[in-house]
Amino acid sequence: MSPDTAYTSDSLSENLIASVTNLKVYFQSKQGMVHSVDGVSFDIVDGEMMGLVGETGCGKSVTARSFMQLIQTPPGVLAGGKILFKSQKNCNKCDGAGCVACSKTGKNILDLLSLSESQIRELRGERIAMIFQDPGKALNPGLTIRTQLAEVFQEHRENDVFKKAGITNNLDGINGYLLKKYIRQELNLITKLMLKFPPFSGFRKKVDKAIDGLVTEALSETQIPNPNKIMERYPHELSGGMKQRVMIAQAIACNPDLLIADEPTTALDVTVQARVLDLIKDLQKRHQTSVLYISHDLSLVRRICDRVAVMYAGKIVETGDAETIFNNPKHPYTQGLIKALPSMTHERGKLEAIEGMVPELINPKTGCRFASRCKQKKSNCENNDPELKVLSNKDKSHKVSCFLYE
Amino acid sequence: MQIRDYIIRRLLVLPVLIIGTSIIVFALTRIGGSPIGIYLSHEMNPAEVQEMKERFHLDKPVPVQYFYWIKGVTQGDLGWSGVASAPVVDVFPKKFAATMELAIAAGIVAVSLGIALGTFAGARRNKLADHIIRVVSVSGASMPLFWFAILLLIIFWVWLGWFPIGRSDPNLFEAIPHPTGFYTIDALLAGNFAAFRDAVWHLIMPAVALGYGATAIIARMMRSSLIEELQEDYVDAAKAKGLAERVVLKKHARRNALIPTVTVIGLTFGFLLQGTVVAEIIFRWPGLGRWMASAVLRGDQATIMTYVMFTSILFLIVNLVVDIIYANLDRRVVLGE
Amino acid sequence: MSQDLKTSSVAIEGLNDSALKVRLKRNLEIIQNVLENPTTVIGLIIVILMLLMALLAPIITEPNMPDPYQMPRDWKAARSAPLTPGHVLGTTNRGGDVFYGVVWGARTSLKLSLIVVCLTVVVGVTIGSIAGIVGGKVDEILMRVVDVFLSIPELIFALAIAAILGPSFTNIILALVVVFWVKYARIMRAQVIRIKQREYVDAARVMGDSKMQIYLKDILPNSFSPVMVQATLDMGNIVLVGATLSFIGLSEAGIAEWGVLVSEGQAGISAGRWWASTFPGLMVFLWALAFNLVGDGLRDVLDPRTETKR
Repeated sequence: MSPDTAYTSDSLSENLIASVTNLKVYFQSKQGMVHSVDGVSFDIVDGEMMGLVGETGCGKSVTARSFMQLIQTPPGVLAGGKILFKSQKNCNKCDGAGCVACSKTGKNILDLLSLSESQIRELRGERIAMIFQDPGKALNPGLTIRTQLAEVFQEHRENDVFKKAGITNNLDGINGYLLKKYIRQELNLITKLMLKFPPFSGFRKKVDKAIDGLVTEALSETQIPNPNKIMERYPHELSGGMKQRVMIAQAIACNPDLLIADEPTTALDVTVQARVLDLIKDLQKRHQTSVLYISHDLSLVRRICDRVAVMYAGKIVETGDAETIFNNPKHPYTQGLIKALPSMTHERGKLEAIEGMVPELINPKTGCRFASRCKQKKSNCENNDPELKVLSNKDKSHKVSCFLYE
Repeated sequence: MQIRDYIIRRLLVLPVLIIGTSIIVFALTRIGGSPIGIYLSHEMNPAEVQEMKERFHLDKPVPVQYFYWIKGVTQGDLGWSGVASAPVVDVFPKKFAATMELAIAAGIVAVSLGIALGTFAGARRNKLADHIIRVVSVSGASMPLFWFAILLLIIFWVWLGWFPIGRSDPNLFEAIPHPTGFYTIDALLAGNFAAFRDAVWHLIMPAVALGYGATAIIARMMRSSLIEELQEDYVDAAKAKGLAERVVLKKHARRNALIPTVTVIGLTFGFLLQGTVVAEIIFRWPGLGRWMASAVLRGDQATIMTYVMFTSILFLIVNLVVDIIYANLDRRVVLGE
Repeated sequence: MSQDLKTSSVAIEGLNDSALKVRLKRNLEIIQNVLENPTTVIGLIIVILMLLMALLAPIITEPNMPDPYQMPRDWKAARSAPLTPGHVLGTTNRGGDVFYGVVWGARTSLKLSLIVVCLTVVVGVTIGSIAGIVGGKVDEILMRVVDVFLSIPELIFALAIAAILGPSFTNIILALVVVFWVKYARIMRAQVIRIKQREYVDAARVMGDSKMQIYLKDILPNSFSPVMVQATLDMGNIVLVGATLSFIGLSEAGIAEWGVLVSEGQAGISAGRWWASTFPGLMVFLWALAFNLVGDGLRDVLDPRTETKR
């Protein structure tokens, strides 16, 4: 397959970094097809923080993982849609001159879902990075922090490592061959053994030292104290907050264009949450990274995000500016969510829950997914699918999918 | 850190278990009656019989006899083997080397093949290769060794004539000195390639037969723990870094999947040890197992006791070593519960 | 904590009302789930065929009088190949009909495994329960004994015991009981300790049940499934080890038992007479395989958490 197949004729507005159109991800199960993500569309503006809010199981994590092709197929099925992505930076290998690596990832619009395995690998960790919900599970328990962080640089920053090690002139012949194999983790028993002895061992140590330097830098970026000590530790020796900082350091190590944060504070103690949140916000501002922030907590998203998309049962029900959504929610589900939020001004004991249950997503019928729980249900709600539409011409970013406004 | 304390604690429990085993073994053999028979002949008169009893302390109560036995064992006196018509101590080392050579060869087959097959199947879950390996490994755990060995014998010895039985070609065996008792190693030390080839040739069929069950158990464990690891978040996180599938599998998932597999490897060692009895009978391998089998049939108590004691101690030590490896591998393990 | 107690005691009252119904429904669900797994169904089919063969042995073949568990000897037809009239699977060197051995071997194996499983379950469950309930020093001593028993490889231990008791089929049964009770003691003790710590036993205690009542009403029924899984697996393993002991020569020679028959058939192998060992050995394999498949299937359904931990 030629690299050109990754290019797409679709266009992306100038200010967008990514755009999801009609994404459908299903899962096979014994009972039938589970429509986890069923026609999701939203945009991510370059440099902004986009919030994706919804209850557990509404498909927000599946949406996020689709960006990186991290959905296992089977049981997952990509049933349709596109995720367009436009990198904002030049290729770090050739700086825009064009090379094999970046003919895939240059300043072109790519459809992330149709990239081949090797093409998406070039993007993972380099252009698009991800922070996972539970850092305790997302770090490999059997490897040191250093080893795990080093992998990012080994994968994407080979030249930088060699430059930093000061051995760019020694990369000819067997020496270069061995060191490249070493950094790409392609050693076999013999080459591993060769690197243990001079003259190769000296170069290997230089490379290790260079990687150490890069790892330390990345760790101090996330305000981890004593990065030199921390990197020799194993994940279980660190606190939850510390582990999440390591995860963040790992994600932003290559200064990605798009950072996907999948509930990065949910598994943490309340006291640590705020600090990790501030860290992400701070890093986002400093590096001008676009962030897709996934959360079930609307108030938290309002605090840090510029725009919000609200998801319910595999569909986007409302999207718009964070403030607009919060102050002027239109969709009955969004309204319910906001009423269910505790706030300082609330009277004691007056939290409202949304009645009913999330509908089954196995082979769902047509009709609004929220209809069974909706208090403002109309006659056509159960038979027709509402579409996501702009409400008024004043605010074109505010869209709702509800028959109340037609 | 605590790993050292753990090892020390385990080492302290080891003698308790060994003593416990020796008591059970001794009690069992005495239930079967006094071993005086092997020291007697028909010509002896009652006075001589009494003298023999006194000489071997068989006139004393059983607990006292136990202490005399232990005393003898510590002084290197393991008793007289009726089957071999020689002191147990004299026969033991040679037979032991033969058995260990077989067990180790089978162990190498089982561990390398088991891990490879398990990884291969686990990484290709629900594909054809996985199904085949699963059938092979499920049947391996239920395979009677005596039957599998005989099938190999019928096919490769009787029908095809590819492999010999026994341990060696006698002429080649005589041609080299045997400082270690391991025929393959001795042949290499002597630099005799023909003897080495002969040793390996004789080793293959029994080692494969003996190793099959253990291979199946290890492959099964490896497969299921790899599948479990592959569903962990850190695998996705590793992929999200842009790592190649190969690195994710080998460096991340397989490494962690090996941890529970190591404990199973320790258990399969017992499996291999007890299997040598059957494999040695069928392939006419002159080792401990075959000796034990004939001792069992002829009521040779000294041999039975030595054999059972020895294999249990070996089994205990191997499991201790495995536990220590496990503790070192798994950073999360909380030692001693 | 008190909240927990209240809710769990309420739950118990609710359970008493329709306990039978709930249990029946659960059992039905379990059976349904077990039958969903194709390999389990295959295992189950083989088990049923084996049992039928064991039970119908006197109908399938004419029993050898006076003792049908002895192999009939047809010296004139010795060393017949399979498909000889009258000897479908051929005969051994000593004129034993392989087909007769295969069929009656199933009956012998059923006898062996049933007796051993019943005895080991009783012994193991009793000792494990005592260790778990009494606790303290008794528990410590019993568990050390269990450790010692586990430190001798199964087959070697059974071999030594059977050897010392003298070669006979009854002694093989005894030897297997001595070796196999240990697992049940471990399982039972772990269950007792686990269930003892659950709130609903606390609730029962608060409601004034005696120790014995708690044991009979709560602990014993709840320990049923792991014991059942182990017993099913052991039905296969016992025949496997028992046949191995017989093969080595610890049964009376000449009885209709698969291991004995394989051993008898061994003599003809170098002359190319493969059948006398192959068929009975295949039966041991199928028997063990079938019970292992069913046992695994049961475990998946009854205790999905431990599915992979073995």
